Amino acid sequence: MVVDDHPMWRDAVARDLTEAGYDVVATAADGAQALRVIGAARPDVVVLDLQLPDTSGVDVTRGLRAACPAARVLVLSASGEQQDVLDAVKAGAVGYLLKSAALPDFLEAVRRTAEGDAVFTPGLAALVLGEFRRLASVPAAGGRDAPSLTERETEILRMVATGMSYKQIATRLVLSHRTVQNHVQNSLGKLHLHNRVELVRYAIEHGLAGAPEPGGSA
Amino acid sequence: MIIPGGRPQQAQRGSSEPLWRAIAVFRFASVGYAALRVAVIDRADYSRPDWAWAVIAVMTAWTVATTIAYARPERRTRTLLSVDLAVTACLLLSTAALQYPQAPRHGVTPVTATWLAGPVLAWGVRYGRRAGAIAALIMCGCDVALVRGAAFGVALNGLVLLLLAGVIVGHVARLGAEVEAERQRVIEVEAASRERERLARDIHDSVLQVLAMVQRRGAEAGGPAAELGRLAGQQEAALRALVGSGSGETADDAAPGSPGNVDVRAMMLSAQTDRVTVSVPAQPVLVPTAAAGELASAMRAALDNVRLHCGERARAWVLVEDEPDRVTVTIRDDGPGIPDGRLAEAAAAGRLGVSHSISGRLRDLGGSASIRSVPGDGTEVELRLPHGASAAVARSAERA
Repeated sequence: MVVDDHPMWRDAVARDLTEAGYDVVATAADGAQALRVIGAARPDVVVLDLQLPDTSGVDVTRGLRAACPAARVLVLSASGEQQDVLDAVKAGAVGYLLKSAALPDFLEAVRRTAEGDAVFTPGLAALVLGEFRRLASVPAAGGRDAPSLTERETEILRMVATGMSYKQIATRLVLSHRTVQNHVQNSLGKLHLHNRVELVRYAIEHGLAGAPEPGGSA
Repeated sequence: MIIPGGRPQQAQRGSSEPLWRAIAVFRFASVGYAALRVAVIDRADYSRPDWAWAVIAVMTAWTVATTIAYARPERRTRTLLSVDLAVTACLLLSTAALQYPQAPRHGVTPVTATWLAGPVLAWGVRYGRRAGAIAALIMCGCDVALVRGAAFGVALNGLVLLLLAGVIVGHVARLGAEVEAERQRVIEVEAASRERERLARDIHDSVLQVLAMVQRRGAEAGGPAAELGRLAGQQEAALRALVGSGSGETADDAAPGSPGNVDVRAMMLSAQTDRVTVSVPAQPVLVPTAAAGELASAMRAALDNVRLHCGERARAWVLVEDEPDRVTVTIRDDGPGIPDGRLAEAAAAGRLGVSHSISGRLRDLGGSASIRSVPGDGTEVELRLPHGASAAVARSAERA
């Protein structure tokens, strides 16, 4: 499913995906429409523009994950605004790509998203690293629950952030390609988990009766 | 939304409220003082004390009436103020009927005592210095008429004070109004610029999208269109870098951190191009202002080296990390790498482009730099700046 408010982009992306052999089951021009349509469409991958007119991409991500937990969200951003992308990833997006990325990179990203791999650009890796560091330094709430990366995971994320491909990392660290991928997946998983835990705790603390369904209970 | 027309008037009224309250307090206190004088201090000078008390009662009633009237800005009209002036003057002049004839000539205070300054102050606050001065002169005129030139020298003090009071209060009121108006203007400008910023963000995103689209189409179409697409791609990267660094600065304004620190992300992001990717954390990375410029220069030096040794097409990645104890900037390229020993060789031979400029800068800042290169796997330059190191260096530099 393609969600983008820019008609040209929407059509272009849909066309590129179709030509590459994917089945575009739905398109939407804004957050509300996307949420309406996803129930019936049941896509495997959602290509989501972060800059939507009515709601923030973050809220849409959360909503989509809640409505269709099996869908994997790939976020497209025109300006690469750091905090927005980080929030979307924390809300359950599995990867992020700049709109200016070349077509082959984009198709590769979609393929990996569909297969369940996280799409980590250097920018995203840096954001995730920064987020873990921030969580480690926040004293009270973080405290016992602060998720942290293992040394290996940190090392690998740093390498991703400096533009190394998984293959290059695997060669340098003498690991298998799959292992590197798993480490990256795990880092993202920790972030998602932490975010869900935080949401639930927030709901409990604020007495929100019937705490929200753990959105993307995978 | 602030409505433009009539703003100066509103501003004046807003800022003069405390002054009106002060006038009310002054009048009540003065009535008390006047009563005290009639009852105790000047008792002997009053030939008709009962009437004096009646006058005091009128003064009290009039003070209450005017205080209530002046409470609402729209009621402070020339009419009311003139009536106030007239009533006060009459009560002043009534002293003639209340005291023994020779009393004023000996400089005894009129029955109104200090209360007669009330309308003078009111005129000053409402209509400015000149109005205050004129009201003061009118009141003084009445006072002189009362005295009939006899004890003029003694009365002069009081007259001068009254004039001063009228003028000063008027001046203060005007100043207050001007400050208030200025503040309104600033608020308006700020709101307008925030609105512009928001619009700019939307426009930036639209432009970026269109440029990205042109790049894509160009690549698909091939031929001359591909060149156009490539140019569009370059511009897209440049604009994105500009937008990124711009919003970095506003975030800095919002959370300034300790004085002298600056968010170094903005400077780093501005180096972004279609071949250079800059990755930063989502939170501000604060570094002392002096060090930030040097760090950015060191980064650019490293990027220049990449272009120099690996060609224009080489790609580079810059990673900015904010660790608890230090800030780390890593610059990696995908060039051919530097053969073993070449680096040390160059340093020894005195061609210090790489090592001197970059390492030297970092050392001056109290940090360090290291270069690692694997032939075939690119070169990595790591700049490390401990928190607090550059501050200490700056302090010792100042002392030196």
